[in-house]
Amino acid sequence: MNKSLETTNTSGDKKKTQISDSKPSSINVNSFTPTPIKENIEPNEELDDEIEITYTDFHDESQLKIVQSIIDKELSEPYSIYTYRYFVYNWPELCFFACHGERYVGVIVCKLEPHQTSWLLQGYIAMLAVEMPYRKRKIGTSLVQMAIEAMIDRSAAEIILETELSNKPALALYESLGFIREKRLLRYYMNGVDAFRLKLWTRDVTPQDSSEDYV
Amino acid sequence: MNASILDPPDFQAATAAAAAAARAHTEQTDLDLAEQEQWSMSECGFMDPEVQRTIRSASGAEDITQYPLHGWVDVTAEFHEACAELLPGELAQDMLFGLFEAMSAIEIMDPKMDVGMGFDKQDLPPPSFEAAVAMGVIKLDELTTAELIGIFDALFACFVSWLEGNSMDQVLFTCLYLHAPAQIQDRPLRAFCTAVRNLIAVVKNIIVMAGVNEEEDFQLYGNSALLAAEKAQPASIAPMLKEVEDSLVRKCKQLSSPEDSMSVVHRLRFMRHLFQAIYQVELMAGADSAEEAINDIYKNLNVASELMPLIRRTIDRGTQPVDGSEAPNPMGFSPRIHDRSQPPTFPRSIKIRDRPSSYQFLEEMISRFKYACKIIRHKDYYSALNFFIEYSRKSGQCILSRSVLQSLFSSSIRLVHGKQPMKQFLRHSVQIFNSPPVLNAKHPVASDPKVQQHLETFFRYCINMNTFNQFIRICGFNRARQRDKLARLIENFDTIQVDAARLDSLMNQLANERALEGNELHATALKHSTHFSTWVLYNCFRAMLIFLMSGFELELYAVHEFLYIYWYPYEFLVGFLVSALTRTENILLAQEEYAEHQSKIQANGSSSGGGGNNSGKNRNKTAKPRKNKKQQRPYRCEIVYYHALLSLCGGMYKAMAALTKDGRVRLPMSKFDNEEIRYNRRFLPFVTLTSPPPVSYAEFKNIRDHMMRPSVEELYTLAAKHFDQARNVLESIQNPEQEILDLLQIARTNFVVMNVLARGHQKGLKRQPDFDFSKHNYFPIIKLK
Repeated sequence: MNKSLETTNTSGDKKKTQISDSKPSSINVNSFTPTPIKENIEPNEELDDEIEITYTDFHDESQLKIVQSIIDKELSEPYSIYTYRYFVYNWPELCFFACHGERYVGVIVCKLEPHQTSWLLQGYIAMLAVEMPYRKRKIGTSLVQMAIEAMIDRSAAEIILETELSNKPALALYESLGFIREKRLLRYYMNGVDAFRLKLWTRDVTPQDSSEDYV
Repeated sequence: MNASILDPPDFQAATAAAAAAARAHTEQTDLDLAEQEQWSMSECGFMDPEVQRTIRSASGAEDITQYPLHGWVDVTAEFHEACAELLPGELAQDMLFGLFEAMSAIEIMDPKMDVGMGFDKQDLPPPSFEAAVAMGVIKLDELTTAELIGIFDALFACFVSWLEGNSMDQVLFTCLYLHAPAQIQDRPLRAFCTAVRNLIAVVKNIIVMAGVNEEEDFQLYGNSALLAAEKAQPASIAPMLKEVEDSLVRKCKQLSSPEDSMSVVHRLRFMRHLFQAIYQVELMAGADSAEEAINDIYKNLNVASELMPLIRRTIDRGTQPVDGSEAPNPMGFSPRIHDRSQPPTFPRSIKIRDRPSSYQFLEEMISRFKYACKIIRHKDYYSALNFFIEYSRKSGQCILSRSVLQSLFSSSIRLVHGKQPMKQFLRHSVQIFNSPPVLNAKHPVASDPKVQQHLETFFRYCINMNTFNQFIRICGFNRARQRDKLARLIENFDTIQVDAARLDSLMNQLANERALEGNELHATALKHSTHFSTWVLYNCFRAMLIFLMSGFELELYAVHEFLYIYWYPYEFLVGFLVSALTRTENILLAQEEYAEHQSKIQANGSSSGGGGNNSGKNRNKTAKPRKNKKQQRPYRCEIVYYHALLSLCGGMYKAMAALTKDGRVRLPMSKFDNEEIRYNRRFLPFVTLTSPPPVSYAEFKNIRDHMMRPSVEELYTLAAKHFDQARNVLESIQNPEQEILDLLQIARTNFVVMNVLARGHQKGLKRQPDFDFSKHNYFPIIKLK
């Protein structure tokens, strides 16, 4: 666990140097391939075909408001400010933004901790949202890929998340990346809707090590 | 706070006891609930720490307005100073402040999170019972029949909403009358409200004892102070209701139009019989005869269901809820009375069912209970398990129905059908299943002390491992939880299997010994024994199949995974089941023939050299024609069913292969995906078993690659053939049930679709078909888009 936390220092440093700069800095994050990625999968009426999406990580307190505003708009569950801070400040290196010019249009928030019983490092995708006009451009997929790669770099053995039963686009997105629906969680959300626990194994750990997984 | 609160030490001790009881409820054996007369705090299960604290401080006669009492120090300045050391965004985080705490924290004044924001400053506090009485907004006496019907119907709606997972406080106890029924002067209303309060306690007990609830099913705990206020006397409820009914009926006789009053009577009577039935379920543990108890329950349920149409027809005779109001009835309810005492979580919307659909729920619940009563006919494990599996499929949604079945079948972990020990039940079950001579009390080998000793050890082990009992209990959980629990159960089967195999081989050893001793009869009975391992294996296969296929019902499998999921039962599992059952039938057949042979010899012997009265008896026995050949094939239906399943699995497996090869199945991007890991994970619970041996991914891959060699068209044709076989088998079943008809439709449709694809339909369009599971949980209709 300590090891994984030490690797976060790059973004920690940035936090000090770039205080009160709310503009997205162009990306220079350590491990994954630097963007911009060209997105021209499906044309969207409201936007140009050839828009350039850039990706950046979390490096400034002011971005917290952005995380909050994007997520609050798109998700059904209300999260308190403590929840946002819990994730974003414990794992700033696992929080990524998608930007169109100066506008933040998508965000992913994750954490990485040892599993309670198996002690294998388990990644958790807590929140993912892309603003409505920017959907169907694989921005979500790119954000998830970045997060997965960042977590694999930090030795994650598996990555989990929960999503609503009815959220077909999210299910399709994660399944195309190799996640499987491991479990159905009855009445998981406050609105009484069922959820799925999705899981991706990054390597084949001996099953005995994590026999608790399906418990 | 009110006077009903007990002394703190008692309360804490009781709460601790309740917590311990809840933890140990699965192991409770002899807790006689009938003896509990009073609602103690513990019974009300009031364990929320927040409220406990409030109660403790209140009961300690401390006045919170007097704080601070002790030497409090102002640390504001130091606090601000310390904060100055932090950079913007930097956090001082306590070790113990984790995700759970962060998620549970609310932001005060945020309407999405703060329950209090639902109130207006001008809002009066929600009326309590006392306040409502003082203000004259609720009547305690001389209620009109319309008012009574309205309150009764609303309370039934609250009861149903509680069973559906809402908090007791936020539905049932929004009814002010339930807070202090003793103060109600109107007799029908008082009797009804007292009955509801008792019903709450009885239902809670049943659910706790059955122990098949999960947090998502049901909220067990509520504000106990409300229940504790008056004594619970479940035994007195039925007579009390009856008395009120009788006096109402007498009054009715003097009325020119008694219809309205009779509607009140019908509701009271319905409550009486429903209450009585549920209360008798709670008392099952102490019943002398399970048959009699279930008979009584069934009678009460029958009367209750007969009253149902009369009640549903007269819903409009009661006062109706006001449009736009949260209260389920204009008088007697205070919807927000408990909002302020709720734990500080995000506000959850409470939906109380409307009256017609509440009665519909009760009607269906009663028929589920009636169906559950049939468990008494299932005297052996095989048929009881089948019953539980079927019941779960039909009644899996309702927590009370599931709990009632558990209580009716087994009042404790060691007992079934009333007072039959589990061990005896299992012995009997093996005997019924494949009739090992060693379990046949009439067979001389059964009294062999060595045999007895081995059997005793084996069955004691079965009981200690709890595997069989657990399988039945798992069927009581909600469908999503069943899968998780089955995974663990399957692992447990391995040790039992080992033990069963050991028992079988001991029997074979013993056969050799007895043969050497010249005891031909015993040797034959013991020889070639596979009874016990077959029995254990068969049950293990069942668990495996349900586990695997439940993934379809729960929608866990992605389309690209269908191939290996259907492959396993097609290639192995269903075949194992068929061969276990066939072997069992063969054993039974052989035994039957041997027994006939023996009895012939005996008959010959006794007629030749028999003495007077003895031979008469013998002749009577042997003279009976043994024409029950049909009974020797007791598993034929099931075997036929599995044959159909086998073809359907084969059809789906090959259909998926063809569709995949045809490029019509969306596959995951290869960057992070790893099919081998997915495969291993999906079959993980099977890995620990010795038998059947686990099948590695490499083996699967070999088989699949070989199978996928033919052209796409040929593969579609192969799949079509399987569906055609399934159709043939299913059509051969006489008097088919709905499930068979549904499977038949699936087989027929998929046969056509496969043929169409084999002929090259939509060749250019590589679109993934729809897989429509609406006809059956395990098999879809393949639909081309």
